[in-house]
Amino acid sequence: MDAIEIKNLRRVYATNTGTFRRKMKEVVAVEDVSFAIKNGELFGLLGPNGAGKTTTVKMLTTLLIPTAGSATILGSDIVKDANDIRSKIGFIFGGERGLYWRLSAINNLRYFASLYHVEPREADKRIPYLLDMVGLGDRGDEKVEGYSRGMKQRLHIARALLHNPEVLFLDEPTIGLDPVGARELRAVVRDLQSEKKTILLTTHYMFEADALCERIAVINHGKIIALDTPEALKKHVIDLSVIEIEVYGVSDDLINKIKNLSYVDNVSTQNREQRQILMVQTRRGPEAVPDLVSAFNGVRIGKVSAREPTLEDAYVRLVGGAA
Amino acid sequence: MIKKFTFNMRLFWQGASLSYVALFRWLTPITYMASKIVSPLAQMIFFVVLGMYATGKDSAPFYVIGNAMQITAVSGIYGVTMSIGGDRWTGTLPYLFGTPANRFFMFTGRALVHILDGMIGVFIGFFWGVALLGLDLNSANPLALLITVLVTTLSTSGLGLLLGSLSLVSLNVMFVNNTVYFLLLLFSGANVDLTKLPLWIQSFSNMLPLTRGIASARMIVNGASLGDVAPLLFQEFIMGMIYISLGYFLFRWFEMQAKRKGTLEAI
Amino acid sequence: MNWKIIKSHLRVVFLTFEMTFRQNMVDSFILFTIVVQPLLIAILAMWMLRERGGDYAIFVIVGSGMSGLWSSLLFVSGNSITSERWNGNLEGLVASPTPIQFAVFGKAMANVTQSLLSMIASYSVVAVLFDVQLRMEQPLVFFSSLVLTMLTFMTFGLIISSVFVINPDVQRWQNGLEFPIFILAGFLFPISLLPGWTNPLSYILAPYWATRVLHAATVGLATSSEIILTWSMMILFGILYIALSGRMFKKMLYRARVEATLNMQ
Repeated sequence: MDAIEIKNLRRVYATNTGTFRRKMKEVVAVEDVSFAIKNGELFGLLGPNGAGKTTTVKMLTTLLIPTAGSATILGSDIVKDANDIRSKIGFIFGGERGLYWRLSAINNLRYFASLYHVEPREADKRIPYLLDMVGLGDRGDEKVEGYSRGMKQRLHIARALLHNPEVLFLDEPTIGLDPVGARELRAVVRDLQSEKKTILLTTHYMFEADALCERIAVINHGKIIALDTPEALKKHVIDLSVIEIEVYGVSDDLINKIKNLSYVDNVSTQNREQRQILMVQTRRGPEAVPDLVSAFNGVRIGKVSAREPTLEDAYVRLVGGAA
Repeated sequence: MIKKFTFNMRLFWQGASLSYVALFRWLTPITYMASKIVSPLAQMIFFVVLGMYATGKDSAPFYVIGNAMQITAVSGIYGVTMSIGGDRWTGTLPYLFGTPANRFFMFTGRALVHILDGMIGVFIGFFWGVALLGLDLNSANPLALLITVLVTTLSTSGLGLLLGSLSLVSLNVMFVNNTVYFLLLLFSGANVDLTKLPLWIQSFSNMLPLTRGIASARMIVNGASLGDVAPLLFQEFIMGMIYISLGYFLFRWFEMQAKRKGTLEAI
Repeated sequence: MNWKIIKSHLRVVFLTFEMTFRQNMVDSFILFTIVVQPLLIAILAMWMLRERGGDYAIFVIVGSGMSGLWSSLLFVSGNSITSERWNGNLEGLVASPTPIQFAVFGKAMANVTQSLLSMIASYSVVAVLFDVQLRMEQPLVFFSSLVLTMLTFMTFGLIISSVFVINPDVQRWQNGLEFPIFILAGFLFPISLLPGWTNPLSYILAPYWATRVLHAATVGLATSSEIILTWSMMILFGILYIALSGRMFKKMLYRARVEATLNMQ
């Protein structure tokens, strides 16, 4: 049994427009989503704003009732067995809200610990440990209203881990964090994964999904448009590999010759002072470099660099194409 | 000269219509009815019955008139104050103060809608008084009563403008509003015969709007003519002008301070 | 039932009580409702009832105190859930394994306790300002009734907060529900002054029964049958409120999750 199984989940919002003659308008936030996450997997849900990531997570964390479809977490249904699920999952939506500003961090955690049935003795041990883990160890007595955004985010993580849940939902955990804070947070996520927790991470930072996730689902307009490992996704756009070769004057004949090579999709040139940069697009990717260089046959060349396609390239193609 | 006048008039009406829209945007018909009809009626019934418990069934008119007139305080204080203070919350203060527009008309235009609203409230109050609580208006001079209601509404709105300007300076708007509303309930003579209270309290009551308006209304219902109550009404009117002026000066002072200290957007 | 879980729920009630108590102290709107308004009503009632004569001081204290209790229930407890939504904390409470009723009850407990303290403060202020003796004929009955009153009001806090969430339109009537209850519950005058057809309305209000026995106890008119009648009614209402609240919260939470209203969008 997979940790999380999602079948045809759908969520429609009804909104009112207008003040005097109120009209009902339906917005489909999640159209039809199905996937499964294995035990102990770090799974990424990638998509632009408004794609349906947060809505999906809210349904899985029992905060929203799906319009159609079903899902189970650790075998329990998200609607019928909602209360069973609540004690086994942790989640963060992050941001400024969701904490009691007038309380200190420690008191916030004590309160949530009681909500999650954590015994006081146990809580008294876990709270300092968790605060240290997220780097707030020496500021636990301060009121949350004085915390920076990054600190609040980190406190959210500590809160989510109080009851040591088996499954974690992290909705855009590094948004609004400075680079250092974000990096520290990613380290925490990696540590959590090594503890064999099942983690669903949503983000719209490509490199983050690439760096952390074992598998990624790309969602857009409420539908999953791709689901695979980062490597496999990148292979989709291998044709976007660009090899840049610096040349000092090259004839049109040579350019045409390169263009006509079987493995070359396109060649474009850019002039920089006395040099030209030839940008060669090839499906073979960086491994085509030796063959390309030999094609120059003695013409003087300078720097050669190969740009590998990134997850962002794959994402842009997937999301742009599906639009 | 005429151009300036029409310009100022336009300002005045703009402020008025702004208030109108602001007033009714968040109100649904149900809420409006609840606040205009049910709430004042409930408050009136409470104090009238309490009054009858205290001083006998025959004293009902005393309390009916007092509480009907007191209804001006609802729109005068809550409505007017919010229409000034509201700008602070919506963040439009900088835009207002950045214009060369005449401040006085901007300031007072906002109160107009609430004055009308307040008068309607009072008349509804009198209606309930007659319909349910046995108020006898046969001896009352209608014109005198109308003028009394108008002047009183004007002066309580003056207090509202002052409180509104104050709300730009301080933070606890609702606390001040609520407290002043209840202080008026206590000290305006709506529910107590002021002559039976210590002198220092009577002096305080006379510094408030509404006090003389209520006294006039009671006299009119008992058959007094416009001439009889004219002195009181005149004083009530002056009271209103004093409050409006104080409020306006505070308004301008606030603008100067804010521009000097750069705290225009501070909340 | 799991003893550990019960202890956990009680801890939630207590922690919420503590947190709410402290937060209320710095909220000017709440302070006005719980402290200032009842005091001003007390002073006004003292002035008005002076004509009537007799020992009306304690009557005024109890009546104005009850009015404060009701106002705080209406405006503060009633907003328990909606205020958590405004603060962005509602989702966190709903998604936890503890039913939200326990947090709401803790809040109601804090509000009622603060109203009680305010009543005591009014007592002192009135005694000083008006230089009156405040005599209580049946103190034991009074204080026991007071405890029962507080418990009944706490359970009512559960109902009112869920009703306001299920139907936001009802909340708009908040203002309109304040004085009518002052009238029908007989806080500051006996309901015999009201037209007879309104009496049944009074009888279905728990505050009426509470006020009735409290007023009676201050002047020594609380006979055994009075006490049994009023206490039974309060207990009945309390049980009714607890029973109803379970169903209402379930309905409210389900609806909120369907309509996505747990969060401010």
